[in-house]
Amino acid sequence: MTPTLADPETISSKAKSPKETLKRYSGWLFVLPYLILFSLFLLTPLIYGFRLSLYKSELLSLSPPRFIGAGNYAEAFRDPYFWKAMTVTMRMMLLVTPITILTALGIAVGINSLPRKRQTFFRSAFFVPGMLTISVVGIVWRWFYSPEFGVFNAYLGAFGLRPPWLGNPAWATLAIVIMTVWWTVGGPMIILLAGLQNQPEQYLEAAALDGATAFQRFRFISLPLLRPVLLFTIILNVIGAFQIFGQTLLVTKGGPEFGTRTLVQYIYDTAFNNYRMGYASSMSWILFVVIGAFAVIQFRVLREK
Amino acid sequence: MWLNLQKRFLTITARIGISAILSFCLTGCGTSRNAPTLIRFWNGFTGPDGTRALQIVRQFNQENPDIEVRMQRIEWGTYYNKLYVAGIGKRAPEVFVLHTSALRRFEETGFVRPIDDLLGDFPVNDLDANVWDATVYKGKHYGLPMDFHPIGLYYNRKLFREAGIVDANGEAKPPRTKSEFLEDARKLTKTSNNAALSQWGYAYSNAPLHVYSLMKQYGGKFFTPDLSKCLLNSPENVAALQFCVDMILKDKTAPSPDASDPWIGFRQGRVAMTWNGIFMLPDLQKQKDLDFAGFPVAQIGEQSAVQAGSHNFCLNANMGEKKRNAAWKFAKFYSDHSLDWAEAGQVPVRKSLRQSPRFAKMTVQSQFANQISYGAYFPQIPFNQEFETEFNYAVERTLRGSVTPKEALDAATAKIEQVIARRREDRQSVTGVASP
Repeated sequence: MTPTLADPETISSKAKSPKETLKRYSGWLFVLPYLILFSLFLLTPLIYGFRLSLYKSELLSLSPPRFIGAGNYAEAFRDPYFWKAMTVTMRMMLLVTPITILTALGIAVGINSLPRKRQTFFRSAFFVPGMLTISVVGIVWRWFYSPEFGVFNAYLGAFGLRPPWLGNPAWATLAIVIMTVWWTVGGPMIILLAGLQNQPEQYLEAAALDGATAFQRFRFISLPLLRPVLLFTIILNVIGAFQIFGQTLLVTKGGPEFGTRTLVQYIYDTAFNNYRMGYASSMSWILFVVIGAFAVIQFRVLREK
Repeated sequence: MWLNLQKRFLTITARIGISAILSFCLTGCGTSRNAPTLIRFWNGFTGPDGTRALQIVRQFNQENPDIEVRMQRIEWGTYYNKLYVAGIGKRAPEVFVLHTSALRRFEETGFVRPIDDLLGDFPVNDLDANVWDATVYKGKHYGLPMDFHPIGLYYNRKLFREAGIVDANGEAKPPRTKSEFLEDARKLTKTSNNAALSQWGYAYSNAPLHVYSLMKQYGGKFFTPDLSKCLLNSPENVAALQFCVDMILKDKTAPSPDASDPWIGFRQGRVAMTWNGIFMLPDLQKQKDLDFAGFPVAQIGEQSAVQAGSHNFCLNANMGEKKRNAAWKFAKFYSDHSLDWAEAGQVPVRKSLRQSPRFAKMTVQSQFANQISYGAYFPQIPFNQEFETEFNYAVERTLRGSVTPKEALDAATAKIEQVIARRREDRQSVTGVASP
């Protein structure tokens, strides 16, 4: 409820009884615990990080942090490693997001077509990987990809195929993408499934009566109705894909030849291997802006017209 | 009514809270009076070496009830980051391990303490001079060396015998010279179309350490003495790296790095020779069906040299006398038990202990120990991590054939020069004087 000028309550707000004041602010009281945590652990570091990004702040340095304005940002744009990491990140995002969303949609549609009673099992089965921590996933998948003992090459070897999974940049990228899809497909799947199940059945029934095929019903009824949910999952997934870190750190360590070192990992390396906090903060902010821009663009493009 | 309930709830919870705090304090204060001195000991021994280290720590704790050493193992990959940050936050452990090449970085920060005043009756002359001297910074020793861990040659004796590379007694004969090394690698290589069935004379299971050893053998330099200039792309270093690439691309006696895991290849008996650290030994000892042995690396260049590292006990600069003495006592104890530590794949740096029959029985360690006098640490510079990142990247790109040795080393040199320039600028802003 948004108060307007014509709202008598707003106009006479000064003359309100204490009970009404309490009522007015009770909403704030409910969100207060979250707001405190949010400002303490998200907003403050965010602002502090921005301030840091304008300083030459290096833990190894003997001099105190020094204000250098946009110096760190300028360095990032000149730094070939930054661009390499940015390219890797973009490539990962462009591969991970469509594959994840399409797979999730496929699974959701599949599960939705089952009788309700049987859905529970499949829903949880596809969701379970996402409940594992990345350290577990990373260690297990590193074994999966082992050229000698890995489960993939054990089966592919039967067909004479022995891909060097983590051996060169292209294969390693693919390996990270497959693993990421497996790990993260459950979340969007659940959301899309819920979206599908919330759709009014009448539309589909009416279309079926008019002789629409299953594909036509999906394409012209379910999919358009799913649009807001899809938009939501895509944006969330893009944000997640931009921040891929654990997978590459644990499975490839960013290699070979930094071919899978994502921006977040480069930021980590800069901050905690080389202790260049200012420079790392500036790159974090660039990433933040890029993610924000992507989210806005997607919102504009996919929003219902 | 509602208010009343709330009040009662609050009083009750408050009472519970206070009594909990009281009882915690009472029991806590009670035990702390005669509690042993706590020494936190951080290291990166997350492999089998950690089990061995823990045994030594346990023995120390048993023999010294007044001290309790608590060991914390952190993967080397993140160990230095965590240690450094802990140090900055004044929460560094009392005792921690630093590699010799990492010492400079930490000495500059001031949270490592020189140990010269603690030495007392410690038999300094029993330590290998080059290992002990490497801990000196501005005239003081900043760590007590625990060990020496060079790389060395691991070779598969069965494959050597099959290829007829044997001495007068019919025993496998490892290469000592450049020509022997190249010839043996050729004789031991049997490539087939199926990569999984190929047998390789050599494999780069730890390429950066291998390349660094060769660069040192070729007489390569890495920095000017005042650290003002990086010399990584000098002709000697380029030639050393070229030699390594040639084994893959020209001689085809070593597999390309993306084909398979070279270390696993050696364990499977598909690789006849590989240079790797002595710390990899426990991995091979687990494998009973592998007939392997260790030997010093061949001399390929003009001089003997081999990459090596040493772990050093380092003491936190900010601790009281009681903790300091306890920490030093522990460091000394560990050094005295160097032979137990050597079992985990290390060479003791106490000369007297190396002469013991027990050490003679550790055949691989004994062979690798012959390299102590010409062991070469990675450059001891404050920006060692930046250097090693660039160095490893250059080696990796070259051995994969993505770039030539010269291109890779030029690029790495340029990157390291940037680090040097940043440091110079930093120093200037502090002292007003240009110094690296």
